[in-house]
Amino acid sequence: MDPVLQIENLESGYGEVQVLWGISLKVHPGKLTTIIGANGAGKSTTLRTIMGSLAPWKGRVLMNGEDVTRLSTHAKANRGLVLVPEGRQLFPDMSVEENLEMGAYSRRARKGEKENLEKVYATFPRLKERRKQRSSTLSGGEQQMLAMGRGLMQEPVVLMIDELSLGLAPVLAQQLFLSLKDLRKQGLTIVLVEQNVHLSLALSDYTYVLAEGRVEIEGDSHDVANMDEVRRAYLGM
Amino acid sequence: MSGIFASMIDGLLIGAVYGLAAMGLSLIWGVMDVINLTHGATIALGMFGMYILFSAFPVNAYLLLIPIIAAGLLLGLLIYWISVHWVIDRPQLASLLSTFAVNMMIIGIGTAIWSTSPYNVNFTLPGITVGAYTFTGNHMAAASAAVIIALALELFLYRTRMGKAIRAVADNREAAELMGVSSTMVLALAFAIGISLAASSGALVSTLFPFTILSGASYQMKSFVVTVLAGLGRPFGALVAGVLLGLLEGAVTPFIAVSWIPLIEFGLFVVVLVLFPRGIFGRATA
Repeated sequence: MDPVLQIENLESGYGEVQVLWGISLKVHPGKLTTIIGANGAGKSTTLRTIMGSLAPWKGRVLMNGEDVTRLSTHAKANRGLVLVPEGRQLFPDMSVEENLEMGAYSRRARKGEKENLEKVYATFPRLKERRKQRSSTLSGGEQQMLAMGRGLMQEPVVLMIDELSLGLAPVLAQQLFLSLKDLRKQGLTIVLVEQNVHLSLALSDYTYVLAEGRVEIEGDSHDVANMDEVRRAYLGM
Repeated sequence: MSGIFASMIDGLLIGAVYGLAAMGLSLIWGVMDVINLTHGATIALGMFGMYILFSAFPVNAYLLLIPIIAAGLLLGLLIYWISVHWVIDRPQLASLLSTFAVNMMIIGIGTAIWSTSPYNVNFTLPGITVGAYTFTGNHMAAASAAVIIALALELFLYRTRMGKAIRAVADNREAAELMGVSSTMVLALAFAIGISLAASSGALVSTLFPFTILSGASYQMKSFVVTVLAGLGRPFGALVAGVLLGLLEGAVTPFIAVSWIPLIEFGLFVVVLVLFPRGIFGRATA
């Protein structure tokens, strides 16, 4: 099957400092693809460059074969390229429900707004309990649920998640991973950047290992998990 | 005693108009972090807009607010593209200077057309007399119009999709883009609304007092005081703070010369800045 999202030789960075040195990725529909690597390897930068929050220097981003490299961030979001950003990036002065409504801002997400809201509340009942509260008053775990819920409200074609479990208690991280597994079962295409290598290798179909802004290793997650260099460097075995 | 009472009622009613003017300043400030120095000039344009329209169509002056609001939106878009869009991500000094430049251009053109001599809008609504005091019709109509516009803005920002997009961009511009919001369009719209609010407050003032092309400056100053009192929050906060400022003016004018008022207002400005750096009704930031 053709990849729904394809990245070719992507280069970018901050100011004068180049971070990505030609990243190529393929994301296949219905699969959970994970990107792992050490701090500073360029994982978050890759996602931000795909979205256009950071301007690409070179390379291409293709969605269903169409070149969307130079589209603005909001135009990409309107096509269903969805990023749940690192650090949640909620709207702090808006209520939980308003944050979710903002997820359904685009025309394509608007149609299913009611239905999606029910789904999100069913997945994260805590959000329903707190729907009138300002999002800045939520706990860290609840904020991450809200960021995920807001992403789901966008009716993603590809859901990219940057650091799902960062700063969360293990129980909460576990819970979010389980909800991710459900979404994957329902056929959603997911790209996960994660510092918890154990869990993401166990959960995903395909894995890219980044090092110093390049793809160092790629393969089926099961195979990658059994590679000696991965076991030593990332799994501590 | 009835003197101070009457003066405070007038102050309260005018204060609603101060609040309306301040909403324009604080909306732009809050959404895009731009201190709009065309604010005063735009207020003055609202005054002359009312003068021109009323000269051409001598109907109820308060009906003429509708075309002034529309013209204010267009003017706001124009000023945004001329002086704000290009400097939006630059340090605040850049937008301060560029909006100040447009301010000088408006004042210059206005002075060439109308000179700096006073004009007035010759329209009077009948007042209501209660005991020894007459509530002037224009004051009541201007205050009511200000409250209605404030309520409309509040409903727009909190109940409509576009209004929520404005608040989202104010909260986190990059995240709003990730939701599919064109932040450029939203910033232009917010600026246009801010300018339209300023113009309509000017139009309301023109039905109360004589004015010149330079009159906007003192209302710009009052808008700063009100914004600092209210903090960058809901429109309703600016309205309440405006009314408080008006009441204060009304309470002191019977006792001191008018020229002392700026001193008192800016004394208040400094005190509030020191004691409540986020304003009395200021919003929390994450």
